[in-house]
Amino acid sequence: MNPFLAQCRASFEAQATLEAGVAERGQRQAEWTRFEALGWPTTRLEDWKYTTLSGLEKLSLQNSVEPREEVKGVPPSLPLEGIPANRLVFVDGAFQPNQSMIDRLPEGVRLRFWSDLDAQERERFTHKMAPARALTAFGALNGALFTEGVWITVDAGCALEAPLHLVKVSRTGQRMSHGAVLLELGENSGLTLREHCVGNTDQPTHSNWVTAIELAPRARLTLVKVQQEGLLSYHTAALHALQRAGSHLQVFSFALSGALGRNDITLRLIEPHAECVLKGVYRVADRALQDFHTSIEHDSPHCTSDECFKGVLEGSGKAVFNGRVRVALDAQKTSSRQSNHNLLLSDKAEVNTKPQLEIFADDVKCSHGTTVGQLDEEQWFYLRARGIAADLARTLLIQAFTLEIAEAIPHVGVREEVRHLLSGTVEENDHV
Amino acid sequence: MLSIKNLQASVGDKPILKGINLDVKAGEVHALMGPNGSGKSTLSNVLAGRENATVTGGSVTYQGKDLLALAVEERAREGIFLAFQYPVEIPGVGNVYLLKAALNAQRKHRGLPELDAMDFLALVKDKMKLMEMNESMLYRAVNEGFSGGEKKRNEILQMVVLEPNLAILDETDSGLDIDALKVVSHGVNSLRSPDRAMILVTHYQRLLDYIKPDFVHVLSDGRIQRSGGPELALELEREGYAWVGDATNEGVVAP
Repeated sequence: MNPFLAQCRASFEAQATLEAGVAERGQRQAEWTRFEALGWPTTRLEDWKYTTLSGLEKLSLQNSVEPREEVKGVPPSLPLEGIPANRLVFVDGAFQPNQSMIDRLPEGVRLRFWSDLDAQERERFTHKMAPARALTAFGALNGALFTEGVWITVDAGCALEAPLHLVKVSRTGQRMSHGAVLLELGENSGLTLREHCVGNTDQPTHSNWVTAIELAPRARLTLVKVQQEGLLSYHTAALHALQRAGSHLQVFSFALSGALGRNDITLRLIEPHAECVLKGVYRVADRALQDFHTSIEHDSPHCTSDECFKGVLEGSGKAVFNGRVRVALDAQKTSSRQSNHNLLLSDKAEVNTKPQLEIFADDVKCSHGTTVGQLDEEQWFYLRARGIAADLARTLLIQAFTLEIAEAIPHVGVREEVRHLLSGTVEENDHV
Repeated sequence: MLSIKNLQASVGDKPILKGINLDVKAGEVHALMGPNGSGKSTLSNVLAGRENATVTGGSVTYQGKDLLALAVEERAREGIFLAFQYPVEIPGVGNVYLLKAALNAQRKHRGLPELDAMDFLALVKDKMKLMEMNESMLYRAVNEGFSGGEKKRNEILQMVVLEPNLAILDETDSGLDIDALKVVSHGVNSLRSPDRAMILVTHYQRLLDYIKPDFVHVLSDGRIQRSGGPELALELEREGYAWVGDATNEGVVAP
C-alpha cells in the first residue's frame, strides 16, 4: 500500500469511529469498500492512461475530521477581500462560519450543512451525491473521507442576480480536503455560482471535492470554477449534473495552476429542450498536468450541448482532454458541438486529446474538432510591427487565445474578474 | 531618410529582389508600381522586418542607422509604419488596447511620457472622426469580423495615431470602393508633411489620383526598371506593364 493510501485508510478508520450514526458509519464503510474494489488508478486503466498519480502516491496527507474546525486569520493573499457578500468559505475541507457571509441571501436560497442534517436528510443527501461519487475512484474516496458537505437549494421562481461564491482554500500543507456540494435549483430559478479553489502553501496538498447538480424544468445555472492552487497541489474533482426539461446549465472551468488536476464532468440532459454549455481553459507549465474528462449525455430529444476547451502548454507541461458525447437512440433532433484547441509553446509539452462520439440516434447535428498548434506568426508580426515588444506580443496572443472562453460568461462581474485572472499583470498595468 | 542600396532578397530559395536602389528624402511621396510578382510586397516586408524574406545582399540605411540590424518592433518605434496589404485579425486583443500599447511603446522609446487613458481616448476619437469610423470599432477585437474596407481604414487609423516618419502603404487601395478610397486618401494626405516620407505600393494608378506622388518607380523582376514623375503612372495606365519586362507572363505569384 502506498503512503497516500495508508494515510487514507488510517483517516477512514478514525473517521468511521467518530461517526455517531450507524447509517453514516455504514455509508462510509460502503464507500471505502467500493474505493478498495475499484483499486488505485494507474496508467494501465484507459481513463488514466496519460495521467500518472505517482507524485500523489508518495504523499502522506492528513485529513480534516472536524467539519467546523476553525482556522483563524485566512491570509490576505486569498481573494476574500474582493468578495463582500454571499460567500461560503471552506478551509482544508472544514466550513468556516466566521469567514463566510451568507446572511444576505434571499429567502428562496437555503443552505444546509451535512453536519446539521438529521438522519433522514443525510440519507437523501447521500443518495443525491451518489452519481457524482460514482464517476471515479476519488469519488468513492470522497464518500469515505468527506469532512463536510453543503446542500444549496434555490426555490422555484427565485433568481439570484448576485453570484454566490464558494471558496475552497487549501491553507495547510500536507493536508487533504474532501468536501461535497449538492445544488438543487427549482423550476424557473436562476443562480450563478463562482467557485474559487485557492491555495497559498508551497507544501503538497490534495483537494478532492464532488459536486452534484439537479436542475428542475427551466432552471438556469452558471457555474464558474477557477483552480489557482499552489505549485505542489493535487486537485481531483467530480461534477455530475441532471438537467430536466428546458433547463440551462453553463459550466466554465479554468485550471490555471497546480501540480496535477483531474476534473471529471458528466452532464446529463434527461428531458427535452435542455441546454448545456461546457467551456474551459487549462494552462500548464513545467511538470504540471491538467486532465479534463468530460461526458455529455443526450438522453432526451431536442437538447443542445456546446463544449469548447482551450489549452496552453509550456515547458514540459502536459494535458489530457477526453470529450465523450453520447446521443441515445431516442434523443432525436440533438444538436451538439465540441471543440478542443491547444497551443503548444514548447517541444517538450504534450497534449493527449480524444473526442469520443457515441451517436445512436439518426436525426442529429453533431460536430467536433481538435487543433494542436503554435502561435500564429502573422499575428505576432503584426503586433511587433506596431512597436509592441516581442515578449509582450507573445503574452498578449496567448491571453487572447484563452480570453475567448471567459467572454462567454454571462454574469458581467464574474466575466470581468475571470478576464482579469487570465490576463494577469499585462492589462493591469496598462488598462484603457 | 531612407537609402536602399543594391538590396537583394529571397523567399525560400527563390530570389525576388535582385538589386533595388532607392533614395527617399523627408517630405517626399514615392509610388512604387509594378505587375504582380515584381517584388513590391517583398520590398515592403523587408523594410518592416518580416522574417519570411531573407536579405541576401545590399544595405538599407534609415535615418543614419542600419535598418536591417533592427528588430521589427524597434523599426516601428523608430517611426516606420507598414500598412498591411492583408491586415491580420487578432481575436481577443482589443483595437483600443493595441492602439494605446503601440503609441505608448513609441513614446517611451522617444523619451516622451506615456499618455493616460483620458488624453489617449481624446486623441483617438479625434482621429476616428477623420477616418469616418464608428467609435464602437475601438472596442472590438483587432480587425475581427471587419470588412475589407474597414480593415484598410483601421490600418490608416493606426497610422494617423502613430504619426510615423516613414509610412509604407502596401496595396492599401486594393479592395476599396471609391468612397472608402477617398476617406483613406484623406487620412494619408493629412499626414503629409516636410518631415515625413511615404512609399505607396500599388498596382493601379487610381490611388495616385487622390494621393499625388512626387516620384513614380516601376518595379519589375526584382529591379526598378524606370523612375520618373507622376506622368509615369499615367503612361503605365495607358500602356500596361507589358513593356517593362516579362514578369507578367511568367505567372509569378506575389509572395
